[in-house]
This record gives sequence, structure tokens and C-alpha cells, in this order.
Amino acid sequence: MLSMKHITKSFATDNVVTHALREINLDLAEGDFVSVTGPSGSGKTTFLNIAGLLESATAGEYWLDGEDISKLDDKGRSRMRNQKIGFIFQSFNLIPDLNLFDNVDVPLRYRGFNAAERKKRIEFHLEQVGLASRMKHLPSQLSGGQQQRVAIARALATSPRFLLADEPTGNLDSSMAQSVMALLEEINRAGTTILMVTHDNTLAAQAKRQIYIKDGRVQEITDNRNIHNLAVG
Amino acid sequence: MFSYYLKLAWLSSKKTWGMSLLMVLAIGLGIGAAMTTVTVNYLMSANPIPEKSEQLYYVQLDSWEPTEPYFENGDPPEQLTYRDATALMQAKKATRQVIMSGMAAVIEPKNKDALPFMVGGRASSADFFPMFNVPFLFGSGWDAQADEKKELVVVINAELNERLFGGRDSTGETLRLAGKDFKISGVMARWNPKPKFYDITTGAFEDVEEVFVPFSLITEQFFDRSGNTNCWKPSESGFQAFLDSECIWTQVWVELPTAADRDAYQGFIDAYAAEQHKFGRFARQNNNKLSDVMTWLEQRQVVSDDASMMMAMALMFLAVCLLNTVGLLLAKFLGKASEIGVRQALGASRKDLFIQHLVESGVIGLAGGLLGLVFAWLGLSAIKAMYGDWIRDLAELDMNMILLAIALAIVSSILAGLYPTWRACQIQPSQQLKAQ
Amino acid sequence: MLELGPMLRALMRNKIGALLIALQIALTLTIMVNAIFMMIERSAQMARPSGLDETNTFYLTNTVFAPDYNLQAALAQDLQRIRETPGVVAATQINAIPLSGGGWSMSLQNKAGDDIDGTGVAVYMVDEQGVDALGVELIAGENFAPSDIIWRDEAATEWPDKIIITKAMAEAMFDGDWNKALGQTLYINNHEPMRIVGIIKTLQAPWNGWDKVENAMLVPQQLDGRNSRFFIRTEPGRRDALMPQLEKALAESDKGRIIRSVKTMEQTRADSYREDQATYRILFTVIVVLTLITGFGIVGLAMFSINRRTRQIGTRRALGASQWQIMRYFMLENLLISTAGVVLGVAGAIGLNIWLVSSFAMKPLTPGLLIVGCFALLAVGQLAVSYPALIAARISPATATRGRA
Repeated sequence: MLSMKHITKSFATDNVVTHALREINLDLAEGDFVSVTGPSGSGKTTFLNIAGLLESATAGEYWLDGEDISKLDDKGRSRMRNQKIGFIFQSFNLIPDLNLFDNVDVPLRYRGFNAAERKKRIEFHLEQVGLASRMKHLPSQLSGGQQQRVAIARALATSPRFLLADEPTGNLDSSMAQSVMALLEEINRAGTTILMVTHDNTLAAQAKRQIYIKDGRVQEITDNRNIHNLAVG
Repeated sequence: MFSYYLKLAWLSSKKTWGMSLLMVLAIGLGIGAAMTTVTVNYLMSANPIPEKSEQLYYVQLDSWEPTEPYFENGDPPEQLTYRDATALMQAKKATRQVIMSGMAAVIEPKNKDALPFMVGGRASSADFFPMFNVPFLFGSGWDAQADEKKELVVVINAELNERLFGGRDSTGETLRLAGKDFKISGVMARWNPKPKFYDITTGAFEDVEEVFVPFSLITEQFFDRSGNTNCWKPSESGFQAFLDSECIWTQVWVELPTAADRDAYQGFIDAYAAEQHKFGRFARQNNNKLSDVMTWLEQRQVVSDDASMMMAMALMFLAVCLLNTVGLLLAKFLGKASEIGVRQALGASRKDLFIQHLVESGVIGLAGGLLGLVFAWLGLSAIKAMYGDWIRDLAELDMNMILLAIALAIVSSILAGLYPTWRACQIQPSQQLKAQ
Repeated sequence: MLELGPMLRALMRNKIGALLIALQIALTLTIMVNAIFMMIERSAQMARPSGLDETNTFYLTNTVFAPDYNLQAALAQDLQRIRETPGVVAATQINAIPLSGGGWSMSLQNKAGDDIDGTGVAVYMVDEQGVDALGVELIAGENFAPSDIIWRDEAATEWPDKIIITKAMAEAMFDGDWNKALGQTLYINNHEPMRIVGIIKTLQAPWNGWDKVENAMLVPQQLDGRNSRFFIRTEPGRRDALMPQLEKALAESDKGRIIRSVKTMEQTRADSYREDQATYRILFTVIVVLTLITGFGIVGLAMFSINRRTRQIGTRRALGASQWQIMRYFMLENLLISTAGVVLGVAGAIGLNIWLVSSFAMKPLTPGLLIVGCFALLAVGQLAVSYPALIAARISPATATRGRA
């Protein structure tokens, strides 16, 4: 599904080269749910941006769903983001001028679906997050948890196979955070691969695998599945 | 997708409606001012007789005072003396030639209840009508014989024919003009070239005269001459002395179909001037000019200084309005940076964003352009009201000008929108998506 | 100022935005200063007195078309009829009307001779009531006597031997000292002598754009022609009633002629300066609209910039900045940009003026106006930014601790 080899990201400013990421190697299988943790400034956001094609790596190889990302131009990368990747952000990033329906509509427009298909998908996904009745509301009329659920509906609208979540519960209280987390797990169970950056160890532990990044390097990868199984079993 | 972008443009404009209104207003005022002045300049510098403007030449001979040229820049006088003009006419060296001067006379209508009234006219020789492609409703001009025999014939314009004869074919009827009975030989169709190129000495945008009579009748002194008369040398008393004097008051046009004809005619007038020089006239014997219609109009600068200055000002005004719009659009688009970032994350390519923002600027530009047309129309109406009658035909929007206005609006708004749009597309999504 | 350094660095990060405002201000100044200068020139031109009693005068044209007409007798009769009408102060036949655009000019010289440079002068042929009818002020010498008036045939070229000239013409002929002129002789048509019997304060020529518009002379002649004009002065307040009354009386007294172009001097002045008046109004509108657009543009840009910096401003407030300090920041920022714009604009204004001077014979700008223009635009900038700055100052310090709105 996702494969990174020797991914490096550095910034050159005023004669100083800062390495945000060094030699990241990572493979994600279809249906994986991986959490990324690490201290502030460790490079986890940069890692997520590269994984989500919002930034390019300085060096290294990145394959996503069988395509070599380094070979893609802006159009190709946009297509990948649109069709294969869904994004969820800490601050939701709903477009304030658009109502819920139109917010979820955004990726579908770029996908080029016809009106009927778009309407079907928007209604389905808003139903899925329990906000179908509020389609005409503006984001500002919703609570934080509701806004994040809309963002998730929007991320899922184009049926991406890969979901990237950047501190998805960072701006939410714990009960809302749990409900969002439950939603993500449900999505994962349905087959979507999820990569989630968080600083909350409890949430991180709910993922199938845990990556710990520090100083731009992957320090350790923990497989939670056995623990899970134990807990469940 | 286009309708989607239109919807986004509408939503975005509505959100910052004050700024959108300011931008539309600024573009509208800029375009309106530019179009108003461009229209006046365009019509002032129009070619009044495009089909043969390059074959018609205005003749200038330098008969003026030996010590001082007529124009400061040394150009020959703008009119000819009677004796020189008649000499050129008698030589008949051009395909067609016309001598003329302004005149005025009183018309006494046949209907005794109607009051006599004054009309402005033109005394010209027979070639005037074929030479300047004058259209006729009825009849035609007179022939060279009528000139020679000083026949009392007259051509009247359509408006006068309407007034005196109710628009019917009045050829052959008589017209009581300057106390004499003139036979009407033709009725002109509506014809009002702007500029009134054939005589711009009393204003380049006057209306065409109401009556035309043979120039040869001038010597009979039935009617008053009109137009400018300039003299540098005192002359004896009496009309014959006036005709023989160095006073300039007549105009001569010649029709020369080819460049060779033109060169030959130039040679002819130079030779004429050289001959006169021998008799003590024409101190500057080589200062003789043949100017075709557009050269003549440019040389005499029929486009008024005010019109050119206003146009320069208006174009700068448009530049201010566009700078204003660029600034506001830039601020607005950069203010939407986070939305742009989100859209990129959701799959919008740079091209998608480029089109989206260009549509937004385009919508503002189009609204501004349409408003600009309204302002241009208002501006031209104001000009007509303020400057008076002579500018009437110079303050009309024609199809060319409307198309130009729309093109100008679209080009300006796209120009104004291009940089802000480009900047919007340069926004790095990863910078915008982090929580603040 | 402590803030200047960081402010400049902040501006440099948004170079284009600042540059756009500066350019806009520069162009506005360029247009504004030149437009105001043109307006001042026009209004000075329009304010010049014609020398006439404009409020109480009018004129009409008499065109004879009937054959076999005793022109001299009819003229005398018409003049008598006009002069005897109650309310008429004076009337004269005249060949041309001041400011009307059409008239005669001749050249006068100090000495007789063929090759002597002359000075252009507008000619008004009047009779002994000319001075009174025009309402011009005789400041030296005397008026024409009835016996001075001679008939002039239409094609005649001879001139009478007495003239009255304007003070400006006298100054032009006698080295700037008009007192020397009275009693002196000037020459017309190179050789014909004319003695100056009187000097009038002001009388403008028929052409308002002529460089010698103040040069005029009165000659004691009556025209023997089929077109004649009567210039009539009435008692105050009676002009408008007398105009149609006289027109009708003259028209009905004789069917062999028409009476036309009955017009007041006030209307003649308005027509004469119509284009200048229109240009003046247009320029005024341009300046007002331009200033408004630039002003509102500054408001708009400042509003956007403040919206984007809400949190930053809140943070500054939280860190102890007073409302006045926040306001001052934006006012100062605008002052900085405007100053740059004004400096550019001075160059632009001078450049445009140089072009206008070379292409359209305009006069060079006065530096005083340029300086006034600069300060006016700086004031417009400060005024425009004060409202957004006030809004910025009212941003609550609590904004800093809230999430983004």
C-alpha cells in the first residue's frame, strides 16, 4: 500500500541545513492503522505532509498504491490526494463560507462526479457521521466534535484507500475524542488504511501499530495487535 | 465545473461584499472614464471619407508675408488667395479640383406666412459633389458650364428640403435665396462627415452646410462670404481690389488617384510658386504642401488638446483603479490561504485553483466592465450636455466602442487578477493546515 | 520610533502589497496635482473681466435681404428706434462682439513704414454711444464726437484718424507706460496714421484664447452693409424684458430684413468658456472620485490586513500594548507607505507636467501646489486608515488565548 525508502527532508535557510526527516523507511499494508507519536518538533507533521503529498521529500523513494510519487507532477499529485488520500486535521479546516453539504462536496467536485453521484455520496457520508439532518448548516453553527465528524465525512467522500489524520482529536474534549476515535476504528475495519499523528499515548495505543519519531528518525515501531488480541481475547 | 467556480466566486464576493463593491465600482469608473475619452478621441480622429481619403489632397501655397511665416513652425497658410486659387483651377492639372469658401444668405420661403431665415452655405465649384462622394436623394450637383456661366443653381441638404418642400423631390423648383431665384439642381441625402474635413478652418466638427451654390457667383456679391479672411498686405478699396489682394480666404482640394499624379501636381504647384516668386510674390517659394485628408487633419490637429489630455488622464485613472483592484484581490486571496490549503489537500491541482481564482477576478471584472459601459454612457451624455451641440456626433458609443469596452474590462480585470491568482496558487498547503 | 525597525521588516515581507498602495498613491498624486493645476489655470482664465457691463447688455444681428435697400437710412432709423425705447441706456452699431469668437483684427505700429513690426489688435467699429453701450471705462482722453463717425463701405480699406485703445494695448505700444499714449499717433496698414484720443481700462478681443486678448481698439465707423449688429445696454433689471420687445419691434418695422441671434453678453461669456467650464467640472469630478477610490482602497487593504493579523494584534494587546499603540502602528505603517508613494508621485507629477507642457502648451507646475498635494494625500491616507486602525485597536486581548475564529 505505502512504501517509503530512505525518505529525507531538509530545509536550507541562511547557510544552515536543518534536517526534518532522516532516512525514513516504512511499509504500510492494506488495512493498517498506524499511529505516529513523538515530541514537538520531532518531524512527525513533516512526515505526515510527505505521506499525504502536501510536501515533497528532499531525497528517497515513496510508493503509494503502486505509483512512484517522485515521478508525479502537480496534477498527478493532486489526483492522488483527491482519489486515494483522505485528510483529517486537528483544526478541522472546514471552509467557513460553505455549508456542510458544500464542504463534503469539495473533493467530489475535483473528482469530477456528476451531480447525482455527488449528492448520493454526500448524503451517505453525512448520514454515516450522524449529521445528515444538518446539511444546510454552516460549520460555525456546529460544535467542535460535530465539525470533526463533517471533516471525516469529507475525507471519506471520495472513498480513499488511505486516511491521514493529524491530531484529529487535539481540539476535542475526551468524550468527543473517543467518539471520533471509534469512528476511525470503524472506518479502518471497513478496509481503509489509516495513518494518524497524535501526541496522546492512549489514543496511539488504540492503533494497530505505533511509530515513534524523534529527531527526524523512526526510533521504534510497536505492534499493538498482539496486545489488542490479548485484551480482546 | 465552471458553474461551480461561479458559485464559489459569488459566495466569496458576497462574504466581503463591501470590498467586492469597491472593486466593481473602481473598475467600472476606470473603464467608464477611459471609454468616454477614448470614444471622443476615436471619433475626433476618425477618417471621414475612408474610401478615397488618400486620393484627395488639400493645397497650401505660401503666399504669406515675406518677413514672417503664417504658422510659427513655418507651415504655409491654411487658405489660399483668390488669385492663386483661381489660377490653380484654370490650370486643371488634377483629375478633379474644387475651389470653395463659406457663405451665408437669407432664404425667403414661398409660403408667405413663413418668416425669412438665414442659412449657412458653401460656394464651391462643380467637382465638389463627385469628389467628396456626396450622396444625393434627388437630382445631382451642377456641371462645369454652370460654374462658367454663373448660373443660379443650388444644391440643398435633406433637412432644408424637409423644411421647405416637405421632403418631396424639389429638383427643378426655385428657391428664393439672397434676393434671387435659384434653381434647385439636387437634394443631398443626409451627409454629415465628422470631422467636416473639406473645411476645418472654422471648426472641424461643424455640421454640413444647408445650401451649396457655384463659387463663381462670389464675384456677383449677392451673398455674404463667411469663414476666416486673413490679410497681411494692405490693399486698395473695392471688391476687385479685394479679389486681387493678398488676403487668404479660399480653399482648394484636388483629386490625384496615383502617387505619380501626386508628384506631378507637386511639381506643378512648385513651378507656379517659382513663377510667382519672379514677380516678387512667394518669398518662400518651396513651401507648398499637398496633404491627403488624414495628413491634413493631423497637421491641423483636429483632435482637441483637451480631448487628448483628458484621455491621458483617464487612462491613468484606469491604472489607479486597476492597482486598487490588484491590491484588494491580493489581500483577499491571501486571506483565503487556509481555504486554498484545504482545497489542495482535498485534491485541487494548481490549475484548478488558478481557474477558480481567475473566475473570481473575471466575475468582478465583468461586473465592472458592464458598469463601465453604463458609466461611459453617462459620461458621454454628460459631455454632450456640457460641451454643447458640436460634440453631439462625437459622443456616441458605436458597436466598436462597446466591444472595446468589454474587451478592455476583461483584459484589465484578468491583468488585475493574474498576479493575485498566481500568488494564491503559490500557497503551500502544508503551511496552512496546521493548527494555530 | 521603536516600532520602525520591525514595521519595515514586516512591510518587506509583504513588499508587493505595500508597493501596490504606494504606486496607487503615486499615480493619484500625479493626476491630482496636474488636474488641480489645470483647474486653477482655467478658472483664472475664466475670471478675467471683459471690461463690459455684462449683466445689462445684449446684442442682435440685422440681416437685409431685400434688393434696392437704403442701408444708411434704415440704420439711422433703427438706432433711433432702439435709443428711444424706454429702459435703453445706450446703443451702437458694432462689427464684432467681445468673446463671441468672431471678429476683426489688425496690426498697429509706432512708425509708418513697410517693414516695421506691428502689434495685433482687435477692432471694434462703434459710434459715439459705443463707450456707453459697451459699458467700458474711459480712463483718459475723450469719447468720439458724433461728427467723428464716418461710413465704411463693406470692401473699404481706409481707416478713420481717431482711435480709442485699451490700457493693455497702450502698454504694449509704449513700453509698458500707458500714460504716454494719449495724443500719440499709431499707424495702420503700414502708413495710415490714427491718433489716440482716449484710453479705456479693459475691453477684451472676440477670441478668449488669443494671446493678445486684452488688445483692443475702438474706431469711429459705421458699417454700410447688409449685415449689422446692434449692441444695446439697458437699465439694470430691464434687459430680459427689452430683448423680445426690441426684437419684435425691429422685425415688424421692416419686412425686408430679418432680426436674428438675439443674445445676452452673459450667454456669450458662458458659450465662450463653455469648454473650459466643462473641462473644469470634469477635472473636479476626476479628482474627487480618484481620491475616494484611493481612500477606500486603503481602508479595504487595511481591513484585510487587520483581519489576518487579529491574533497577532490580540497577542500584542495581551503583552501590554495599549489601544493607542496598536492604532499608532497602523497609522505609522500607512504613513510610511504613503510617504514612499508621495515621493514617487512627485516625480510622476513633474513627469506628466513636462509631457503636458511639451505637447499641449501647458504652463509648468508651481512647487507650492506640489507640496500642498503631497500633504493632502498623506492626510487622505491617515484619514482612510484611521477607521481600520480603530477597529484593530478594539480587538480584545482575549483573542490571543482563543482558537482561531
